[in-house]
Amino acid sequence: MKKMYSNKLNIFLFLVPGLILFVGVLVAPIIASGYFSFFDWNGIGEKVFIGFKNYKELFTSKPIGFLRALKNSLLLAGLSVCIQLPFCLWLALKLGKGIKGERFFLSVYFMPVLISTVVIGQLWLKIYNPDYGILNVLLRAVGLDSWAKIWLGTKETALGAVFIPTLWQYVGYHMLLMYAGIKSVPKDLREAAMLDGATDSQVNWFIVIPYIKPVLRVSVIFAITGSLKSFDLIYVLTNGGPLHSTEVPSTLMINMLFLRNRYGMGSTIAVLLIFLCFGFALLVGLIFKEEED
Amino acid sequence: MKKTLAILLTLCMVLSLGVAAFAEDKTDITMWCIATESDSNRASYEKAIAEVTAAHPEVNFTWEAFENQSYKEKIKMAASADEMPDIFFTWACAFLGDFVDAGRVYCLDDAYKAYEGQLSEAMMGNTTYDGKHYGVPTTMNIVGLFANMEILKANGYDEVPGTYEEFIACCDTLKANGVIPFGCSGKETWCVTEYLESIIEKSCGAQILNDIFAGRATWANDDVAAAVDTFQSLVNNEYFDPAGIALSNDEVKANFMAGKYAFYMNGTWNCADFAANPDLKGKVQVAEFPVINADKATLGQLIGGPSDTLAVAASANNPEVTANFCIDLGKAICHFGYLDGCGLPAWNVDYDASSVNELTQTVADICANANAYVLFGDTAMSANTANTYLDYVAMVYGCEVNGADFVAGLAADIG
Amino acid sequence: MGQTLNDRNLSAKVRRYKAQNAAIYTALIIWAVINIFPIYWMFTFSLKDNTEIFGANVAGLPQHWLWSNYSRALATGQMGRYFLNSLIIAVATIIITLLAAVMATYALTRLVWKRRKTINKMFMLGLTIPIHAALLPIYITLSRTKMLNTYLGLIIPYSAFSLSMAILVCTSFMNDLPRELDEAACIDGCGTWGIFFKIILPLMKPATATVGIYTFLQCWNELMFANIFMSKDALKTLPVGIQALAGQYTTDWGPIGAALVVATFPTLLVYVFLSRKIQESFIAGAVKG
Repeated sequence: MKKMYSNKLNIFLFLVPGLILFVGVLVAPIIASGYFSFFDWNGIGEKVFIGFKNYKELFTSKPIGFLRALKNSLLLAGLSVCIQLPFCLWLALKLGKGIKGERFFLSVYFMPVLISTVVIGQLWLKIYNPDYGILNVLLRAVGLDSWAKIWLGTKETALGAVFIPTLWQYVGYHMLLMYAGIKSVPKDLREAAMLDGATDSQVNWFIVIPYIKPVLRVSVIFAITGSLKSFDLIYVLTNGGPLHSTEVPSTLMINMLFLRNRYGMGSTIAVLLIFLCFGFALLVGLIFKEEED
Repeated sequence: MKKTLAILLTLCMVLSLGVAAFAEDKTDITMWCIATESDSNRASYEKAIAEVTAAHPEVNFTWEAFENQSYKEKIKMAASADEMPDIFFTWACAFLGDFVDAGRVYCLDDAYKAYEGQLSEAMMGNTTYDGKHYGVPTTMNIVGLFANMEILKANGYDEVPGTYEEFIACCDTLKANGVIPFGCSGKETWCVTEYLESIIEKSCGAQILNDIFAGRATWANDDVAAAVDTFQSLVNNEYFDPAGIALSNDEVKANFMAGKYAFYMNGTWNCADFAANPDLKGKVQVAEFPVINADKATLGQLIGGPSDTLAVAASANNPEVTANFCIDLGKAICHFGYLDGCGLPAWNVDYDASSVNELTQTVADICANANAYVLFGDTAMSANTANTYLDYVAMVYGCEVNGADFVAGLAADIG
Repeated sequence: MGQTLNDRNLSAKVRRYKAQNAAIYTALIIWAVINIFPIYWMFTFSLKDNTEIFGANVAGLPQHWLWSNYSRALATGQMGRYFLNSLIIAVATIIITLLAAVMATYALTRLVWKRRKTINKMFMLGLTIPIHAALLPIYITLSRTKMLNTYLGLIIPYSAFSLSMAILVCTSFMNDLPRELDEAACIDGCGTWGIFFKIILPLMKPATATVGIYTFLQCWNELMFANIFMSKDALKTLPVGIQALAGQYTTDWGPIGAALVVATFPTLLVYVFLSRKIQESFIAGAVKG
């Protein structure tokens, strides 16, 4: 058996389809992006090798505003971890305990995940529309005229207005992950604790949450890398504006590639983004490991 | 040796002739453009394509239209991978220039020989690089001051005020009566430049603006700074619809057509849509922006020029045929576009144009008295510089910087 | 005496419990409304004209049910065609992803070789890579291999970007299959491939649903690749079509709403009917992942 399972040819054959896809579409192009990041190149003309100049410019140039974009996406990641995930966990705990209408709530909360991001974006554009959007119409209807704002056009509100649908859309996703974890907590563990006189919140805190730690780790990693990668919704809603106040690294990258014809710089952002995502995934893994020890 | 070479050559010739004879003798030509179904140029493209394909039975023509922003992304990607369509829509000056520099565009000098006298050299200036012609201009457009005359009349104005002082007084009257004077999209910064560039030109004159856009003069110019402050004072005086900053140009334009604003400054390609809308019949007028500083600027100094262009990719299978087809097509789009009111003709008019709508005829009159043109800044400048410029324009519109900061910042970042 | 005190204590507890419960329910219901309302609003404005949407009747049911919005949305552009394209691409992507993932997982969990941990880690790194990071290199590769403007031009990149998640899910499922099965099959004379096709593959059925959903979500929503890799109208996908249509009817909200509904409701309907199954498979994948 072991000998049969160590047949090199078979191992190779089983791995080949996956490896071809992975290396051909992910690894090789990313290496190419890494290579382009050392050039000053408009995508069509001559490439000029400039070493690390793109990287240096990216971090020092104020007009490009990479740090602001990075700050925005880190803020999104922070909000996601500190507000969205605890809320998801709360929902999951309540639903996971088995209440009336559990199925209904579960289904409804998951719905936004299934809707195409473009549709969600178009829908929220209409919700935020300064003249006819439902948000301002409702505010005016209840007499809060002064609260009605140009949500996506004002620097102070745009970032929040973009983050809300971004966070909202994936509440159901994380909730379902956690709900699944909670449902897998063995019944006798829970019952034993209840018999010892533990309250609901004590059970949740001392039994359930430690038990679903692996799920939480996955959720945190997805929430952070997802925030760093976020693109579609912001692209549809503001495309980084007004005055770059909602810029994130992905929109900045598209801006460099297609508006400014700076292919080298766009590749630099891509490379940094990948490293950031790797870095955070490792970091979160480490933090959770430390906790376990 | 010579003999073998000769035999080989003959063989090649015979082979290629044979292949040519065997193959379908039609040339496949594909075109990408931005004349989507919502674009005001759509009808003229359709009519032109029908006419030109009928006249060129040797061509097998297919075309696709894309929305403006995604078109820019697609065409740049296609150029990088050398996958360009045979004929492509492009903006003049810098946008086409990048492709020309990279050797992706077929030179049209030979093809143009057959069209001598039909197209003035001035109209080709924006698509001429190193003295060679690379583009087929279709229509030319300027920035026009569109006015809703119904609103103006209701507020006591029978015509668009001719001097700047009267114009400002008119805006104050409108504001006092609860009418928003201007609509302008802040989501698309080029719309802001339509206002800002007109104001700079009418304050400082066309010469200096042309020099700055072309990189011959520095942005550090006190007159320009003062003009930017003039523009900003219009914003600070609440002449602009505050909601505009979150709206796209299409939304703002629709608001103007629905009577939300008194004025709308934008390209004269809009004449087609305004003229075709039965609700607006006789309500909209177009005018030239008044002179702000008569010492430096005069009427007849306009923002605009020929920019909409068709070009032939160097990778086209049969560039000669494609070039001829492209020139015929550009000329026909110009013809139908002019009749529809999508802009003024870049090509000489040798047909009856009396059916052109009144708005476009007014534009033609304005242009007939023109003494200088300044091409739209974001078209004139290269992509990177243009976007830096647009960033600063957005900051001015958002009142983040004043005129002095604007020129100082641009002088530092661009030159 | 003691009895009554206890009773009072208990009833206070019950009351507090009830109040707490009511608060929880209120919160849950409010959140449910927040999730449903946008969908409800989208559906109602897809059947109204602008005067209703813009003032007369913002949130209520339409006064005149304007089904013509739908015919307009379906007539301009080719919504039906875009929907079909998205479906074809999604289904093919799911099949390719599944096959490649199950095979790779088999090699990574069952077969015995030195570097398998490293390779597994490499696949897992794929989870964090943003899809836009390699736009131009992928575009150039596709153009060299003549795959631009074909379904494959989207199917292959989508499959590659879904692969990591699929392997993650499959690994957890496959680790749960007892190894004794393999051994028994081996004794019965099955080879590596025999075990894979006869034993493993049929038992991986539950994983397919999970992988299917994850992959579907990924490729059903994607905008950037779909926009740039497809230049023929007949090949556009739904997100691209919606974006274009929204640009076309900027101020006519009815047809936009109709298009959004057309893009959304089929998925939602399938979900409503299969929600239990979808949730279960999602759960199965998540817990073990």
